[in-house]
Amino acid sequence: MDRDIKISIRNLYKIFGPIPDVALAYVRRGMGKAELLEKHNHVLGLQDINVDMREGEITVIMGLSGSGKSTLIRHLNRLIEPTAGEIEVDGKNVLNFDEDGLRKLRREQMSMVFQKFALLPHKTVLENAGMALLVRGHTVRDFEDEAKKWLARVGLEGNENQYPHQLSGGMQQRVGIARALASNSPVMLMDEAFSALDPLIRSDMQDLLLELQEELKKTVVFITHDLDEALKLADHLVILKDGHIVQQGEPQEILMQPNDPYITDFISDINRARVLRVRSVMEKTTEPPADCAGDISDRDNLESVIARSEGDTDLVYRVVKKGNQVGILEMKELVKALVPVDASEGDNRSRY
Amino acid sequence: MATYDFVFSSLGLEDWCSDGQSDAPMSMAALLQKTKGTDAEAESLWDLPFPSMDALNDSCAAFPKSRELTKGLEEGFLSIKDSLSVVLDPLTQPLSWFLDGTLYGMLNTPWWIVIPALLAVVFVVTKSWKLVGFVAGSLILLAFIDYYQYAMETLSIIFVCAFLCVLLGVPIGIAMSRSDMMQRLTIPVLDMLQTLPPFVYLIPLIFLFSVTESKLYGIAIILYAIVPVIRLTNLGIRLVDKDVIEAADAFGMTSQQKLFKVQIPLALPNIMAGVNQTIMMSLAMVVIASLVSAPGLGVLVLQGIRNLELGVGLVAGLGIVILAVILDRVTKASLARINASQKQ
Repeated sequence: MDRDIKISIRNLYKIFGPIPDVALAYVRRGMGKAELLEKHNHVLGLQDINVDMREGEITVIMGLSGSGKSTLIRHLNRLIEPTAGEIEVDGKNVLNFDEDGLRKLRREQMSMVFQKFALLPHKTVLENAGMALLVRGHTVRDFEDEAKKWLARVGLEGNENQYPHQLSGGMQQRVGIARALASNSPVMLMDEAFSALDPLIRSDMQDLLLELQEELKKTVVFITHDLDEALKLADHLVILKDGHIVQQGEPQEILMQPNDPYITDFISDINRARVLRVRSVMEKTTEPPADCAGDISDRDNLESVIARSEGDTDLVYRVVKKGNQVGILEMKELVKALVPVDASEGDNRSRY
Repeated sequence: MATYDFVFSSLGLEDWCSDGQSDAPMSMAALLQKTKGTDAEAESLWDLPFPSMDALNDSCAAFPKSRELTKGLEEGFLSIKDSLSVVLDPLTQPLSWFLDGTLYGMLNTPWWIVIPALLAVVFVVTKSWKLVGFVAGSLILLAFIDYYQYAMETLSIIFVCAFLCVLLGVPIGIAMSRSDMMQRLTIPVLDMLQTLPPFVYLIPLIFLFSVTESKLYGIAIILYAIVPVIRLTNLGIRLVDKDVIEAADAFGMTSQQKLFKVQIPLALPNIMAGVNQTIMMSLAMVVIASLVSAPGLGVLVLQGIRNLELGVGLVAGLGIVILAVILDRVTKASLARINASQKQ
C-alpha cells in the first residue's frame, strides 16, 4: 500500500453558472447545494475534493447520478476546467499546463474509456484501436501491429476490419479498452465504462480489467454507480454525494466502518459474504488457535469460508498469508460480520 | 383641398409646401381626376386615404412621392454601380471563364465521349448498374430528339455552379458551426436569399454586369443555390455526437485533426444532403436564368412561351424533369452509400 501517489487532487471546487467565483465565496462560507441553486442560481458540481490516487491502483469513484463523479473524472484531463483547486499528476499541476502541455498530457499520460464507447463510426476497429497513435501522427501501417496486439489481448482477434456498428455493445467497449491500452499511457480514466452493458457481459469485462491490471499495473480511475462493481474493482474507494466526498478508503474498511447513514443505506443491500474478505473480519494474532479446522487465505471471501465450514459455527480457522499465520477466524465472528452495521436502520429502509 | 392639408397648415409649413409647387407635367391619376371633375370635396370618412407619401404629396407639393423613394434607390445604385463594378468585375471574371470554358468543353467534345464519360461518373459515385442504365436511356432519348446540345448546356452550368456552391458553401458552413456569432450573423442573410423571389436576384445583377456575360447568370444561380449546402454543413457539424467529440478531445486531437478526421466525415451525410438540394436548386434557377441569356433547356421553354410553340416548351420542360430526376437519383444514391458506410 506504499505506492507513489500518481494523481493528487487538492481542494477542488467546480461551480456551474455565470459567475462561479462569487458563488465559490458563498460555498466556502458554508452554503449548501440546494441553497446555492435557489438563491444564486449556480449549480454546485464539486465541493472540496481531496483524493490521492496511487500508482498501479484502481481508484473507484462511486456515487449516484448527479453526484458529480463524471464531472470529477473530466477534471483530471481538463475536459472541464475547475473553479478552484489543484490537480497534480506526477507532482506537476495540470492547471498550469498551456495548450501544448495539455495536449501532450492527453496524448501520452492519460487515456479514456467512455460509457457510450464513443468510437469513430466511419473507421474500422483497427483504426479505432490505433486512434491515440493516429493522433500522434503515426500512419495505419505504423501502428497496425500494436493495435492488433491489444485487440487480440481484449479478445477481438479477427474483427480488425469490421466497423463498430457491426459489433455488439460488449465488443465495442472492448475496442474502447484496446484503444485506451494502445495509447500506452500510464493513467486510464474509465467513465462508467461498463454501465451500458448487460450484467453478464459487465461481469466479463470487470474480470478482463482485473486481469489486465494484474499484468499492466496502470493507474486506473474508474467511475461507477454500481456498488458491487465498485467493491469488486476498487483498491481505493471514494464515495461521492452531491458533489462532496462522504467517505474514502479501502473498500473493506468502508464496509466494516461506514461513517455516514448514506453509506449504511447504500451497503445494506449488498451480499456481504461475497464482498467481505477474511482479513477484514479476522482477529489478528500469530498464536495458533486451540482446535484448528484448517487454513484459509486472508484474501478469501466469507462465502467460500461458509461453504467450507458447511454452516458449522463452532469452527475456528487459521488465517494464512504467504505461508505465515496472520490471524484466526472464528465462524461466530464471521456470522456476526454478515449483519450490516446499523442494521436496524438499514432494515427499515430496505423494507419501504 | 386635399385630405391632409390641415397637417401642414397646423405645423405652419405652408410656405415650404408652396415652394415645392412646380409646373411639372400632371400625373395620369391627377389628369384623370381632373377630367372626371369629381373633386375631393365630397369626402366621407369611408374614403379616408391612408396618410401615405402620395396622399401627403397631394396636400403639400414639397413632400416627396413614393416613386421618388424608389427612384432615389435607383439613382443611388447607379451612382455606386461603376465603382462597384470596378471591384466586382475582376473578382467574378474567373466565373465567366469557368462557365464559358466548361460550356465550350462539353459542347465541343463529341457525344460518343461525353455520354460514356457521364455514365462512368454515375457508376463511380453510385455503383449501381440500374441507375447507369436509366441515365443512358434518358440521355439517348434527349439526344434522339435533338435536345442533346441544350441538355448539355444546362448540365455544364449546373456542374460549374454546384461545384462553386460546395467550394464556397462548405467553408462558410464550417465557420458557422464553430462560432455562434457567425451563425447569428449568417442566418438572416441565408433566410433572405432563400425567400427572395428568384427574379429579384436578376435585377441588381443586370445593372452591374452586361447581359452578354455568363457570370451574370452564374452569380444568380450560385446565390440562389448555395443556401442549403451552407445550412446543412453547419447543421451536420453541430449534430456530430458529443461523446465522439469528447473522445477526440480526450485523446488530444488538435482542432484541425478534429475537424478533418471526425467532424467533417461524420457530417458528410448531412453535407451530401445539402449538395443534393443545391444541385436541384441550381436546376430550378438555370431555367429562370435563361431570361438573362443563360443557354440550355430554359431557352427552349422561353421560346415556347414567346412564340407560342407549345410543343417546344412542353418537350423542353419534360427534358428538365428528366435532368432533375437523373441528378436527384444519382446524388441520392451516392448519399445512401455514404450513409450505409456510417450507420452507428
